[in-house]
Amino acid sequence: MNTDLQKEFADYTKNLNAAGKDERIKTALTRAVHAYRSTVDETLQRFPHTPELAAEVRELKAEAVIKRDDLLRQAMESVERNKGKAFYAADKQAALALAREIIGKGKVVVKGKSMLGEELHLREDLEEYGNEVWETDLGEFILQLKHDRPMHILSPAIHVPREQVAEIFSKFFGKEVPPDIAQEVAVVKEFMRDKFFQADVGISGANVVAADTGAMVMIENEGNVRLATAAPPVHIVFVGVEKIVPTFQDAMKVAEVTWRYAQYGVPGYVSIITGPSKTGDIEKVTTYGAHGPKEFVVIFVDNGRSTMATEPEFSAALHCLRCGGCMYECPVFQVTAGHFGHTYLGGIGTVWTAFVAGGMEKAAPLAYTCLRCGRCVERCPMQINIPAMVGELRKRIVNGEGLGKEEVSQEEAS
Amino acid sequence: MAVEMKLPPVLDIIRSNIVKYGNPLALKGGEVAAWAKSLNLPAQGELLFYTGGEYQLLPYIDTLVKTMTKVDQASKGFSLLMGVRNVLDKAGINAEKMYASVLAKDKERYNTVCYKAAVILRQLGYELSYSGEHELYSGALLYELGYWDDLRAYAPKVANVIAQSGAKTIVCLSPHAAEVFKYVYPKLLPDFAFEIKTFVELVWEKRDLLPQVDYAAPVVIHDSCRLARELGIDEQLRDILTSVGVQQREALRNRKWTTCCGGPNKLLFPEISHEVAERRVNELTHTEAETILTSCPYCLSALENGNAANAGVEDLIEFLYRGVKP
Repeated sequence: MNTDLQKEFADYTKNLNAAGKDERIKTALTRAVHAYRSTVDETLQRFPHTPELAAEVRELKAEAVIKRDDLLRQAMESVERNKGKAFYAADKQAALALAREIIGKGKVVVKGKSMLGEELHLREDLEEYGNEVWETDLGEFILQLKHDRPMHILSPAIHVPREQVAEIFSKFFGKEVPPDIAQEVAVVKEFMRDKFFQADVGISGANVVAADTGAMVMIENEGNVRLATAAPPVHIVFVGVEKIVPTFQDAMKVAEVTWRYAQYGVPGYVSIITGPSKTGDIEKVTTYGAHGPKEFVVIFVDNGRSTMATEPEFSAALHCLRCGGCMYECPVFQVTAGHFGHTYLGGIGTVWTAFVAGGMEKAAPLAYTCLRCGRCVERCPMQINIPAMVGELRKRIVNGEGLGKEEVSQEEAS
Repeated sequence: MAVEMKLPPVLDIIRSNIVKYGNPLALKGGEVAAWAKSLNLPAQGELLFYTGGEYQLLPYIDTLVKTMTKVDQASKGFSLLMGVRNVLDKAGINAEKMYASVLAKDKERYNTVCYKAAVILRQLGYELSYSGEHELYSGALLYELGYWDDLRAYAPKVANVIAQSGAKTIVCLSPHAAEVFKYVYPKLLPDFAFEIKTFVELVWEKRDLLPQVDYAAPVVIHDSCRLARELGIDEQLRDILTSVGVQQREALRNRKWTTCCGGPNKLLFPEISHEVAERRVNELTHTEAETILTSCPYCLSALENGNAANAGVEDLIEFLYRGVKP
């Protein structure tokens, strides 16, 4: 087989160069990088135990990759024991098929921010199937209206200034919304409030999952995840299998390290959800769907993660907590934002693009964009060696080698 | 299943130039070694002075990049143009003609860096040997760009030239060469047991013998990523400057947190590389230092290119040579 990547490179380069000349991106990123560094520096001083905790998390994440099959089984059993429903989706198609089957058509869906959602194009697929789907995270909502993709995993609309937000909102709401951030926030709150309570289904991701208890841990500031997971009668969690750790205690460690490096300082909300809403207040008879969802569903998605786990050169990329710290430190990301990326962004995103969302063809231009300068590793609480992984990817690209154990499976097949 | 991926041609051009000519831009050995004529360095000795031709090729890299910026790399014209370079010997075309726009003063400057480095080390009492026109580029870019199989085949040739010098220690001017010799070669060649040092380390060891540099304005160090993060050399640069009596400023992002100069992706993404370089120059000049010092050929070249601020940009070698009276 022969794949001509020259057009892929040419298109990507054109887009990247345009981003590199976009003053809005540079201004927004310069502010964001400054804010990120000062918040993280300050909170690391306030909570000096964090690096040590990060070291513990590195160990337990590495262990979790090894025990991934057991942990998945255990997590699914825990969800079922808690009267939730647990599903496993081997790939994107399977995950979307489950979503369509469970949700159906003609429903109103409210959704929290999720990189897995981006990876699956979950909102677009559910809309195509005939549902009304709302991104409830403010940044994601702006991008939904703008028909744009996230430019940072935690601050998806990092590249859109208030003036542009005002234009987008004025058009959508059919009334003049001034370029005033407080008023922009208020107008969305008013609109979304109804959607939360009208919705048939709420969708969220999870930052970490505890296998022993089946606890889904979600970190946020806006409160939209709280509402989206509590108000509708059905709550569906889409979560990557790499997010599972053995115990509840482990999950708390992962959560704290995640939010510290994700610039939350101390997050506004941490939700821990283990099952459907229930009450036993009348005659001690357990009844489901008290104030919260009556149905609780967890879809564990693999979609290339197990392949990554089997590759010693890349398995550590599964330790990624999605704190986004590396992106702020990346000199290319600082001038191009998520244009250095496909669905997943920056250096770590290059590896995830290769295995999970895009494949080698999409990953190749990204792999050669990376400077391999290594500052991301200095920031990364998991110390993921991105430059080494990018080097390995380049080697496979020039040699035309694939990913995973393809050769073995071919031998097995014959 | 192997899938052959057709990549932008510049990658293969660099690869085949290294493999065929022992230099990323197919410079001739005589040209790479021209700087050493007046020094009469011996071909054999315990301490091998290794340039890898890296400073010498800098003016040509910029010309190549300028050509690429103007020409669509996906176009036939580009492939043809670069193909000419690639089949240099077969076609009998003079590379110099293609790079006719290289400024004589740039060639002079970058060639002289090697000379200055050798003079400084000799004045500090080091006895250097040099492979001259036989010296081969380390192949660091083969490693960098993914051509590991080519490096496996190429490395023994480089090792052979080095072995012929009878060296125990190799002093590298470029941290990229030092990195690949120190961390990659031993994996490919079990017998590659040379002690690998950088110019900075040798100077640091005898810094008390350095002549003072008469320079009143403050300078700022741009730590190279390879030097600071891979080789762990940062404080040594500061010590050296203190020894020669120069005022130093520190950039906000320095040492292990240094910002990359943008050099590494210059060949494929010259515009982004330029943006990154310009921002780094801004970080450095924000200190109000008048001169930026670095110790890496690619940083030197990238920062010069991104130097819209018109600060002075010098290699540490050039700067220290200010104090030397040969």
